[in-house]
Amino acid sequence: MTRRAFDGVEAGQELPTLARVVTREDLFAYGEAGGDRNPLHRDDDAARAAGFPVVIAHGMFTMGHMAACVVAWAGEAAAVERIGAQFRAAVLVGEEIVAGGRVRSVDAEARTATLETWVTVQRDGGTELPVRKGEALVRLG
Amino acid sequence: MHPQAEGTIYPDVAFFVDPQRVAAFREVFGLTEGVPPTFVTAAEFQVIPTVVADPRVGIDFTRVVHGSQEYAYARPLREGETLTIRARLASIRSKGGSDFLTIETTLRDAEGAVVCTARSVMIERTDP
Repeated sequence: MTRRAFDGVEAGQELPTLARVVTREDLFAYGEAGGDRNPLHRDDDAARAAGFPVVIAHGMFTMGHMAACVVAWAGEAAAVERIGAQFRAAVLVGEEIVAGGRVRSVDAEARTATLETWVTVQRDGGTELPVRKGEALVRLG
Repeated sequence: MHPQAEGTIYPDVAFFVDPQRVAAFREVFGLTEGVPPTFVTAAEFQVIPTVVADPRVGIDFTRVVHGSQEYAYARPLREGETLTIRARLASIRSKGGSDFLTIETTLRDAEGAVVCTARSVMIERTDP
């Protein structure tokens, strides 16, 4: 992959959205790779005991998906110099999460872009933001 | 929670940037190159459970949820390198009936240079 060129990037531009349906296999694989093996993310009984109908995604799984959306836009993982987000709603297994973002500002001297990013899920006829106030600093080529 | 625990620094732990683990992490997110920006969560998981379970901090870890997360990189992580992780209890605050614990984790390379700083806010729900 090639890092996105700074020229042509302007405030207000939208990132292509990135969607995926969260599966049990995804959550298990993520738990192994990331080290979070909390039963809330792999055992329905544990999830029910915590008040959820089925297992829920790790907040960091959902944020990792948001980061993948940023990397796809930036062209290279190493271009992402800062990334952060707040966690709000839980994501249930089987739900579709959609990551998106837009360019908030650019710095021509540093050749960087600051992005605002988020993850949405459609639930009960409305849009929820399991990950909100996401922000990323990307160094462009 | 015990606000006097603020500022506590936990013992250093080594973190190997295992290429196989990085590849597994990439695969989960459909990435094809590099170290994913949130991979440092694997390093945090080596130290944060110790902080959260620390009796000096005095929180009920069964009521803790992840509130927010931030990573700042001085340079990208290199697969195959071993970094030193240090966790510090940056702040303990009560707000709106909940307690907020900010854990700052720094990853340093063999020369002692900071490679990444991670800030993780854990919230202890105090509702019944």
